[in-house]
Amino acid sequence: MSMYARRSSRHVVDGQLELMPLMNVFVALIPMLLLSAVFIKISVIDLSAPPTAESDADRDNKPKLALAVTIKDDYFVVEGDRIQKRVIVRAQENAEEQLSGALGEIVAQYPDNHEIMIISQAKTKYEDIISVMDISRDAGLPSVSLLGAD
Amino acid sequence: MSRRRNKRFDPRRGQAGITMTSLMDILTTLLLFVLKSFVIEGEAVTPVPGVTLPESTSLAVAQSAVVIAIFDDVVMMEGEVVATVSKASRSRDLFIEPLAARLEEAREKSLEIARLRGESEEEFMGKVSIQGDREIHFAILQRVMYTCSQSGFENIALAVIESSS
Repeated sequence: MSMYARRSSRHVVDGQLELMPLMNVFVALIPMLLLSAVFIKISVIDLSAPPTAESDADRDNKPKLALAVTIKDDYFVVEGDRIQKRVIVRAQENAEEQLSGALGEIVAQYPDNHEIMIISQAKTKYEDIISVMDISRDAGLPSVSLLGAD
Repeated sequence: MSRRRNKRFDPRRGQAGITMTSLMDILTTLLLFVLKSFVIEGEAVTPVPGVTLPESTSLAVAQSAVVIAIFDDVVMMEGEVVATVSKASRSRDLFIEPLAARLEEAREKSLEIARLRGESEEEFMGKVSIQGDREIHFAILQRVMYTCSQSGFENIALAVIESSS
């Protein structure tokens, strides 16, 4: 009390803020948040089991489209029941756009179908499979199942 | 200048003050940056070191699951190497025994926890998240997926890096 009295009598104002408590909060908060921070955002692609004969029988009598994209070394093959087979050469610059267009046409023709099978070879790269899955999903076929060619 | 110096250090008082304003600025900026990248929704997934995940446009949020990582020549489950890619891919059988054994252990542990919590065993979701390197082949992915579904882990999710485009 006497200190304040002495200060006020001399008209001296100490303008320093007491920052130490705030510093302590920051020092505790920053490591905690850093631990839960995510710098690379990871999402997932949920897979569905490939359609089986039994599950087909359970459904109503609508004929299945059995839409499939086969990833071969040099080309994509889009095929299915009642669908004209299309072969897209992968070496082409716009192969992915062509595949997207082909799937888009099928979706427009059969809007009830949301399923697609991606048939890969043993040596098909994971990256290529994910890329075809993205194209299918963007075209309106979210229910993707993966199958092996052999 | 001399006045400023006197304010910081007064030899008569014998005290030295530290100017913390600049440090506070740094900490405030850092705090805001870290808060921006704070995850509220879903599970914060960390990629297994050594795995370069492929990019995808998928926006599905990662859920808590058993993590299986496939990269170079190893198949890892929960941070432990359980099989090699070369050996598993050579086999004609799609079933990877050591991985299945580990999955069975994880399944039993999960069921035990469910029992202790008073939940029914039917609530076992069997979620597995596969973190595959972008260079791996379908052969090993197929084997790992087959082993997972045969071991009761039927909810398979493929981890990807969310692409900005």
